[in-house]
Amino acid sequence: MIQTLKLILPALVPSWRFFDVIAPSPRIEIAVMRSEGSAPEDWREFCPRPLTLTLIQMLKRMIWNTRWNESLFLMSCAERLAKDDEAFARQEIFNRIKRKLNSDGFVQFRLTFHAREGRQIIKHIAYLSPLEPFGREAAL
Amino acid sequence: MSFDLALRLTEILLALAFIQQSAEHLAGAKDERILFLPRLVLSGLLLIGFYTPIICALLALHAVLMLHRFQGPYNGGSDRMGLLILFCVTLAHVLPTERWQELALGYLALQLLLSYFISGYVKIINPEWRNGRALNDVFSFSAYPASEALRGLANRPRILYAASWAVIGFELVFPLSFLTEGTLLAALFIAALFHLANAFLFGLNRFFWVWLASYPSILWLQDRLISF
Repeated sequence: MIQTLKLILPALVPSWRFFDVIAPSPRIEIAVMRSEGSAPEDWREFCPRPLTLTLIQMLKRMIWNTRWNESLFLMSCAERLAKDDEAFARQEIFNRIKRKLNSDGFVQFRLTFHAREGRQIIKHIAYLSPLEPFGREAAL
Repeated sequence: MSFDLALRLTEILLALAFIQQSAEHLAGAKDERILFLPRLVLSGLLLIGFYTPIICALLALHAVLMLHRFQGPYNGGSDRMGLLILFCVTLAHVLPTERWQELALGYLALQLLLSYFISGYVKIINPEWRNGRALNDVFSFSAYPASEALRGLANRPRILYAASWAVIGFELVFPLSFLTEGTLLAALFIAALFHLANAFLFGLNRFFWVWLASYPSILWLQDRLISF
């Protein structure tokens, strides 16, 4: 009951502090490995944004924006994971990564945060996940 | 605008926003499809006005289930606004007297007004927003720009400076638009364009649809208080 109230109250009495501070911004990067003993080498951004969007694509996204809205949810999971190491957030990220992988093997993700320091944009690694099997490896 | 018309318009716009959101989830994983299919059906029933108080209560119950499933809102502010509208509409149906029902819809209108004013206030007290640096940060390194090409706007400091003050100014003066019906309609039109721009630039399409759903409540409240 208390947990339910904690979840509902921010909606019933909102703070409305949209974009008050532009905080360091998370990205999820993944590395896929064939075996459990391999070291992660090729880190790549998970679900990177497109290079460009046409006006027609933007209009379509007014109605159908599944992938981007999932990215926004993953971003909030990344912030929660970096802040409190929430098991829920970690599992959500893993589940959504594994759903998009076709082959078999092991996957690891890391959270990088981008922020401005003076005139430069810097990137630092805030979290490194354990290794998880996917595909046929996960079924073994 | 009458109370009944405002309430019905809110229900229709909210139902359309929920249908859009639920349909997006039907393309997701199996557990999400199972969770959002009932919401899609309930939203359809809300749209056609079928036993509205019961449907609203079921949607509110379902919203609590979703909060537990995702350990919070799936899409931050837009989900929270949707939930606020849903609870206010539900209360406007089930509360026993007309006065209490009006209070429920009036609370929604007040929160809509605050959603703009407080957003403007928290920006104007931040020097980074006043000098345009905050909006520059949004485009240069935040996760929000919907495409890589949009990051190029970070190299247009004059445009971002002007845009920052346009947003801050509009959000802060929004409550003044409440004084006449004409100014309120104009302000809501500009606000809708603002949400449309956010949807195009940052992919925040859900905000656009759900904020529109709250507009009838403030049009009703303005009419109710000014004509009182």
